[in-house]
Amino acid sequence: MNIKNLIKKQEIQLLIFVLIFSTMITIISPAFLTLENLFDLLRGSSGVAILAIGIFLVLLSGGIDVSSTTIAIAGQYIAINVMMAMGVNNIWFAFAISISVGISLGAINAIFISILNLPTLIVTLGTSSLFHGALLEFVGTRSINSGNLPRAIKEFGKYKILVLERANGSEYGLSVFFLIMVLVVILTWLILRYTMIGRGIYAIGGNQDAAERVGFKVKKIKLFVYCYAGFLAGIMGVMHVALIRSANPQYLVGSELSIIAAVVLGGTRISGGVGTISGTMIGVILITVLEKNLVLLGLSSYWQKFFVGLIIVMGVIITYGDLSRKKRDENSSAKAIEPSSQVNSASQVNKGDVL
Amino acid sequence: MSLARNQSLALLALLVIIATTLSIALPSKFLTVINLQSMASQFPEFGLLALAMVLAMITGGIDLSIVAIANLCGVVAAYILSKSIGMEIAPSIAIFAAIIAVLIVSVICGLINGALIAKMNVPPILATLGTQGLFLGLAIVITGGHSISTFPEEFSFVGNANVAGIPVPFMIFTAAAIVVGVILQRSRQGFDMTLIGANFTVSKYSGIDNTRTIIKTYVIVAILAGIASLIMISRANSMRPGYGEAYLLSTILVAVLGGTDPDGGFGNLWGVILGIFILQLTQSGLNILSISPFFTKFIWGAALLSMLVVNFYLPKIVEHRKLERARFRENNRDIAGPE
Repeated sequence: MNIKNLIKKQEIQLLIFVLIFSTMITIISPAFLTLENLFDLLRGSSGVAILAIGIFLVLLSGGIDVSSTTIAIAGQYIAINVMMAMGVNNIWFAFAISISVGISLGAINAIFISILNLPTLIVTLGTSSLFHGALLEFVGTRSINSGNLPRAIKEFGKYKILVLERANGSEYGLSVFFLIMVLVVILTWLILRYTMIGRGIYAIGGNQDAAERVGFKVKKIKLFVYCYAGFLAGIMGVMHVALIRSANPQYLVGSELSIIAAVVLGGTRISGGVGTISGTMIGVILITVLEKNLVLLGLSSYWQKFFVGLIIVMGVIITYGDLSRKKRDENSSAKAIEPSSQVNSASQVNKGDVL
Repeated sequence: MSLARNQSLALLALLVIIATTLSIALPSKFLTVINLQSMASQFPEFGLLALAMVLAMITGGIDLSIVAIANLCGVVAAYILSKSIGMEIAPSIAIFAAIIAVLIVSVICGLINGALIAKMNVPPILATLGTQGLFLGLAIVITGGHSISTFPEEFSFVGNANVAGIPVPFMIFTAAAIVVGVILQRSRQGFDMTLIGANFTVSKYSGIDNTRTIIKTYVIVAILAGIASLIMISRANSMRPGYGEAYLLSTILVAVLGGTDPDGGFGNLWGVILGIFILQLTQSGLNILSISPFFTKFIWGAALLSMLVVNFYLPKIVEHRKLERARFRENNRDIAGPE
């Protein structure tokens, strides 16, 4: 692949944008470009990245999922409550509970979407309202603060896989969160690249009818996608409580749209079939850097929402925008003549553009 | 459209059942003039947003930015109104200026959405996801995150007054619903919108200017959100960016509950209005019964999902019955034939 083609790829454009933005921040505030700040950034965004991978898979299959944050908070809050009620102080136990809650709730999504074949946006809107209402009504609304959290959770939050020393002798390091994220990325990449289910996700996102005729088990694949998204949300739930050291069932819910935005900015098509994990990761980095560091550029935090919105609008214009009228007319008439124009996106499956 | 009529009838029955239950269970609290008046002034700001959502959905789109548009309009209007007190401008002029400003801002917002969707071919859900942040962000920037309050006293007429016992917001909602009804059922615009929602390509080759129609749709959607913002700030006598964010999902819920097809091409205005009434009745009823808002949230999720399943299976059952009836008639004819 030569350089010209490389620049045309959306991930690369995005990466260049992130780099320019980071350079700007570094020039204005040199504190940004330290290893410590980078580690902090990775620790803070690993959870969001894992959730984003779940949403990425859903988008890839041609759906949309607005319930993932609710599932994450449900897994987290139930896990913490069970741990405290049973007096268990073990991080694996927390993950086990949170992940099982995540998979079960994901399976409920999957029943409506894959078996009953209902529209994904409306279903996940409904289930997120259902899950969150049930969580608040039947499990509780009490916020559990740092003092009452099981010790294992707090230790997990502080655990580092790489420890470095500051000039004054105190320590900092790379959090275990980063390792979990890397494992999730590798696992997802392997699934997408080497399994029939993974190839099927691209295929049904590109053209569901064609995928079905080729022999992909559409229902089974969708079931897998939503359960896997629930599984990832379960992992993220525990990471989130360890990160902020407080479990509140009202947290996280409401941030799903900005995570979807990050995935879409990373080049994943909302109509499905096209998208890469690396793009998703860059999208998450972009949104996180933007949200956390506008203040370093001297802009008050009030501008944050505006700029994130602006970036999303610009991003979608670049991805979908077709400013020249002539080209668009050609496109739509081509579509009218040849109804299977979606094959275009389906054919990208073969290129192996997973990462 | 017998299906639409069936669905409206089902919703009407549901409304009557809920109203009767509440009246019997809580005669002294529910069926009072004050409660009815308060309900009739509570739902219009939400109802207008729901109507807006339905219009977007009929064209096969969705507008996630309606609450943000209402916020931006509300902030601009609140800014003008509160500044007018300090500058000693006559209240009537200030209110007029605020209404004009809301119209201008909402039309601009609608044009931006429409241009992104129709001219640049950005999927509606993404375009409005982005502009949502843009509009709400702008509202936050204007206010610096604080709320704006104290408006001229005369302005509270919009949200709080009763004329002949009927709350003004209710009248505004009724007028807006009639206009939307006329647009949908009696105008070229409404016909074109439905056709675009049903089949984009066919409408294009039927000589419909898709681009123009879609831009117009999102402008109308934004104007409805702007009107909602006037009621919002008048009722609260203040404006804080972020107000009413929970409305967004409820509008989608009511639209689908009322029989709007999220894929476009079919919308049932009566169904949606009944849906809005049902939502308000249930909310007030559960409120009076002091049932927690969380349980209400749970019930809404369940209602939306069951409505989806019913909507999915009802047409199939109706079709199945038709087929059976036809087969039955055929068989009878066979029997009757030889005689």
